Amino acid sequence: MNIENTQAQMRKGVLEYCILSILNNGEAYPSEIIEQLKQGKLIVVEGTLYPLLTRLKNADLLSYRWEESTSGPPRKYYQLTDKGKKFLEELATTWDDLVAAVEITRKPTKK
Amino acid sequence: MNQTLTINISGIVFHIEVDAYEALKVYLNTIKSYFNNSEEREEIMLDIEARVAEIFAEAQNDKNQVIVMADVNKVIAIMGEPEQYLTDEEEEIPAQKTHRKREDKKLFRDPDDRVLGGVASGLGAYIGLDTVWVRLFFVAAFFMGFGILTYIILWIVMPEAKTTAEKLKMRGEPINIKNIGKAFESEAQKVGEKLQNVDTNKFSSKAGTVLENIVMAIASFFTAVFNIFGKVLGIAFLFVGTFLLVVLLALLFGSTAIFSISNDGVYSMASQDFFNLIFVNQDQFYLASIAVFLLIGVPVIGLIFLSIRMLFKVRSHYGVGLTFVGLLVVGTILAFMVGTRLAVEMSAEEEFEKTEIISPDFNTYVIKTNITEMPGQGVLEDKFTSISIEGDMMYQRFVELSVERSKNDSMMITTNFSSHGKSPKDALNKAKAINYVHQLNDSILFFPDYLATNKEHKIRGQQVEITVYLPLYQSIYLDKSTKELIYDVDNFTNTYDKKMVGRKWVMLEQGLTCLDCNDIEGITSKELEELKALKMMETVIE
Repeated sequence: MNIENTQAQMRKGVLEYCILSILNNGEAYPSEIIEQLKQGKLIVVEGTLYPLLTRLKNADLLSYRWEESTSGPPRKYYQLTDKGKKFLEELATTWDDLVAAVEITRKPTKK
Repeated sequence: MNQTLTINISGIVFHIEVDAYEALKVYLNTIKSYFNNSEEREEIMLDIEARVAEIFAEAQNDKNQVIVMADVNKVIAIMGEPEQYLTDEEEEIPAQKTHRKREDKKLFRDPDDRVLGGVASGLGAYIGLDTVWVRLFFVAAFFMGFGILTYIILWIVMPEAKTTAEKLKMRGEPINIKNIGKAFESEAQKVGEKLQNVDTNKFSSKAGTVLENIVMAIASFFTAVFNIFGKVLGIAFLFVGTFLLVVLLALLFGSTAIFSISNDGVYSMASQDFFNLIFVNQDQFYLASIAVFLLIGVPVIGLIFLSIRMLFKVRSHYGVGLTFVGLLVVGTILAFMVGTRLAVEMSAEEEFEKTEIISPDFNTYVIKTNITEMPGQGVLEDKFTSISIEGDMMYQRFVELSVERSKNDSMMITTNFSSHGKSPKDALNKAKAINYVHQLNDSILFFPDYLATNKEHKIRGQQVEITVYLPLYQSIYLDKSTKELIYDVDNFTNTYDKKMVGRKWVMLEQGLTCLDCNDIEGITSKELEELKALKMMETVIE
């Protein structure tokens, strides 16, 4: 077992949930999303994000609009669709369950 | 001083140093190869390119207007190496491999190793056969009729292996980081090579205008047409070259006659016999054979080589061309040596003459020859056999006959024997060794159309020239058989040799004149009698 591999797997599992959560607070463009993800050390390199965003968008969970930028090419501002919101709610439930499950397993059992 | 290119990323123009551009291109291509779904890939690549443009734009200021290697490295550090991207899709593939080994191979066309569409190479990779054999099968199938259709159908049906993952699938190699890296090393080299010629503006696929796209499409169409034309030419070269090589080998080492078709009809020669009759000894014979092989065979092999290159895009080693040139030089030297030796053998020429006086007993002598086959086995043949051998004897059809005015009233036949040799003595010996006899039976003069010598005298330009001297008013009939025997016979009407045969000719003051000819200006028998009578009278008066 490789510890880094397991860690990466765990991070990746929550990555989609985190992206949707970030966008739930308002629309954002990739660099902003990356900024937040980096703070949480969920992501190491930016390249990871782009395929993920495209797949979420193609699954109709996200939509985007173009906005001109003064410092570079136009930016894609992503936002949640209705479907994405529902998806996020379900993921939130799952997440709560997971956290609860993890908490239970971590507490020493009292008999 | 560094060369820079101008590139366009997501609509923003950057100046970039060449090495930085190469690194960036390789990097982007590497990322691209990780995505299988082409629709998604395009979009993801556009997003990533936009981000790259953003990072570059941030890095630029008044001082730094050119993108350098450090900027590209920064991009790679921010965006990450593609290995770090592993999303679920890419990870599943190696896992599948363990229990679905056979299905891992997929049928793709190989764009990197193609003659037309890469069908053969893809097929070869799929069935595990070397591409050359698949191509040979297609060439054979092409001549059996079903090749073209099969190929076109396969071309349409088989998808092209575009990404590295697809190429690995095509070859059945497991798709893992190591293999992709390996495949990309070679890809990167290729990109580097192409870069020298590439129009820098083509970097972004969106950069071209409509006009540029049309021009590009037309250009690629003509490239395709040109390629196909090259293939057809290659196949033609291959066939011609192979044919010539077979002919040459048979000519040099076979004992049977070889036939070829030229303007003069069918030409053949039994080369070994012929060479033996020319060269003094076996060593010269071998040297000459090698020289001929090098001078003719090497270009023929070169032609075959070229055709294979045209057909299969095989890259030849630099040494090959050099070897060809070297062999040609050796062949030239050998030919020069043998040629010099032969020239010495032929340097002297001698002749001698035999004269026979014939009493003009007949009004008209008939000149005839034989047009039957020459004795023995033909060695050099064109329309007729020119040289043949039988036992120790050699026969050559080098006999010529001409007709001239006699200086006196007698009719004469002179036979001139001539030959070449290495010295005057040798030449004279060879001339004397010529066996040639004509026959006179009543009014019929028979001249054989070939001369005979012993084989040991070799072919040294032996020749027999016969001159028939006619006194005034003597007439002859040139039999049709003498068509090939007579040579440039002077006559009053300048009638061509071949038209002179089958007619009577009479010697007049003005020269040889046609007797009783309707279509050629001449005189009639009656006029001739009058002329003769007139002459008689003149003699009597004198």
